[in-house]
Amino acid sequence: MTAVAVAPTASRQHLWLGLSALPLCVLAVVVLFGWHLAVGARSVPLGTVFEAFIHYDPSQFDHLIVRQLRLPRAIMAALVGASLAVSGALLQGVTRNPLAEPHILGLMAGASFAVVMVVGVFSWVGGFWLPWVAAGGALVAALIVWLIAQWAPGGATPLTLTLAGAAVTVFLTALISVAHLLNQQSFEQLRVWLTGSLSGQGKELLWVAAPWLLVALALAMALASKVTILAMGDEVALGLGVRTGWLKVQVLLCVVALTAGSVALVGPLGFVGLVIPHAVRLFFGSDYRWIVPYSALVGAGYLLGVDTIARLIVRPQEIATGIVTALVGAPLFIHLVRQRAR
Amino acid sequence: MPSSSLHSHWIVRLTNERLSLRVPRRAVWVLLGLLVAVAGLIALSLMLGSYSMSPAEVWSVLLGHDAESDRATVVWEFRFPRTLVAAMVGAMLAMSGAALQSVTRNALADPSLVGISQGAGLAVVALTIVWPELPAAWRPWAAFFGSLTVAALIQALSWNRNGGSSIRFILMGIGMAAFITAITSALLTYGQVERALSALAWLSGSLHAASWSEVKLLVVWLLVLLPLALALSRSMAALQMGEATAVGLGVSARWVRYALISVAVALAAIATAAVGPLGFVGLIAPHAARRLARAGVGLHLLLSAALGATIVTLADLAGRTLFAPVQIPAGLVTAIIGVPVFVVLLHRAHAKNTL
Repeated sequence: MTAVAVAPTASRQHLWLGLSALPLCVLAVVVLFGWHLAVGARSVPLGTVFEAFIHYDPSQFDHLIVRQLRLPRAIMAALVGASLAVSGALLQGVTRNPLAEPHILGLMAGASFAVVMVVGVFSWVGGFWLPWVAAGGALVAALIVWLIAQWAPGGATPLTLTLAGAAVTVFLTALISVAHLLNQQSFEQLRVWLTGSLSGQGKELLWVAAPWLLVALALAMALASKVTILAMGDEVALGLGVRTGWLKVQVLLCVVALTAGSVALVGPLGFVGLVIPHAVRLFFGSDYRWIVPYSALVGAGYLLGVDTIARLIVRPQEIATGIVTALVGAPLFIHLVRQRAR
Repeated sequence: MPSSSLHSHWIVRLTNERLSLRVPRRAVWVLLGLLVAVAGLIALSLMLGSYSMSPAEVWSVLLGHDAESDRATVVWEFRFPRTLVAAMVGAMLAMSGAALQSVTRNALADPSLVGISQGAGLAVVALTIVWPELPAAWRPWAAFFGSLTVAALIQALSWNRNGGSSIRFILMGIGMAAFITAITSALLTYGQVERALSALAWLSGSLHAASWSEVKLLVVWLLVLLPLALALSRSMAALQMGEATAVGLGVSARWVRYALISVAVALAAIATAAVGPLGFVGLIAPHAARRLARAGVGLHLLLSAALGATIVTLADLAGRTLFAPVQIPAGLVTAIIGVPVFVVLLHRAHAKNTL
């Protein structure tokens, strides 16, 4: 009850913070976007990056790098970062599980498994159907994890959900490895993709996956206010007239679409969905009308930054982005367990 | 019912009554059965493979006849050491799991689930990539050091004012495993290619490269660690009756716990150092052993070991024959079998008490 009593003042405070932080966050994302475009195996001065957009000259090598190679990658990083952060935020709200995240709950493994199987069996990569395949896999994995957790004593608690997710991930990862061994040739091309890297994919896929992600992000914004109510508990939400069952289905579909689009683009990228919503919640409280849009912004900036760092530290080689996000995310996971679990 | 329980046990007494044991008959028969099964599987895996042999041919090779033939090379150089390594690694991982489960009182504890195997993995990969000039004999020590560090970290992190909690222990382990895996992958991506490749083969948990040097290593460590684990099992039994009872019986709870964790970690680390991380054996074997026969802590440890040996020998045999000529690493086979078992354990009411 205290939460309801405190709500008006708290939300007014968050309203000011939320509105005033908006230009700052947008600016930060723009700066990170520019930085991402400027650095890499070959540094390009910011002025030249700027020129590449205003006076594009295909005969200039630097312009070509920026427009043809780095721009698609930067857009991918921003889009995927936003999508994963938002899907993590939605999952955490709906399951009331501070550890929820598409990677930990097995959705990424499901999407990857489906993609690997389809690519392996039909020896066909990319194209229009890839996000659909990934979405199917993510959805089935999500349902299996939920069923396992529901079946365990005590029902779908944060603990059982996390354990079920970890188990399903291990299982599917082992199956992917077996498939890889059985048909080495057709899987060779998926190796880089499976570590969660932004480097492997072409920009053709961006045109396929971007609509998915944009539609799902818009849906997430629309659902945000109801998720806030749902996060207070099913009874409260029912009492306030929210059809909880239908809302959960909508959120699940939204999360599946976000995960599937991201996996199709860059492979299974863990822990982004865990880190960002928690960071955002530190500043903007528990109102999902703020958490969702800011998760999108901060997530975009975060992945742009991480991808830039992943290309910088071992230049001219690069570390798979998924490794860097895990290095940042896993300690936070441990910290959350330390704080939250009884 | 004391009468029936006496009936199902053998009573073993030394003449001066300094030591008397009550041995459950069923458990002894199951243990013997499992040992026969392991022996049978070893024989089977000497025969099967890309070069099939009849039992008579294998037997004559083992007796030392036609020592110069290809058959002798296949059996002595490849299949025999590999199978022995599989059996011993299985036994060690199973005992490690059994000991961990009883120390943490967590039915789901497994060296690969809580990051202990990954710690060994990271240490060995680091050794291979950063100091390739060091001999392979350093691997077990590196693995032990890596595992022990992780075990200590998880213990320290999952401890709070209310004491250690098994939920925190296992979730913390999952996070730790993810973190360590990321560092290992980072080492692999920017280490030198040929060194990274040799580390990579080892990481998939394959017995492919097992040779007599691994057999020797495992035998030596097993001869040290098995008696230690059995010696500690009596105190472990006292601990399971509750800390107060244990202290009343003259057992130092803290000391026994540290000793047992060290033995469990050492067992998992040596096994991992020999063949790479093999998941879920330490989880499945103790539970399955308990279902086959109820036994006291010490006998249960032996039962788990025999069952673990059976599982890994079978997994290796299946992995290298089912999809021949492609070899599926035993680690993948145990993960695929292990996860459904894990799910069932999660469901069982037994797990509820300990979670």
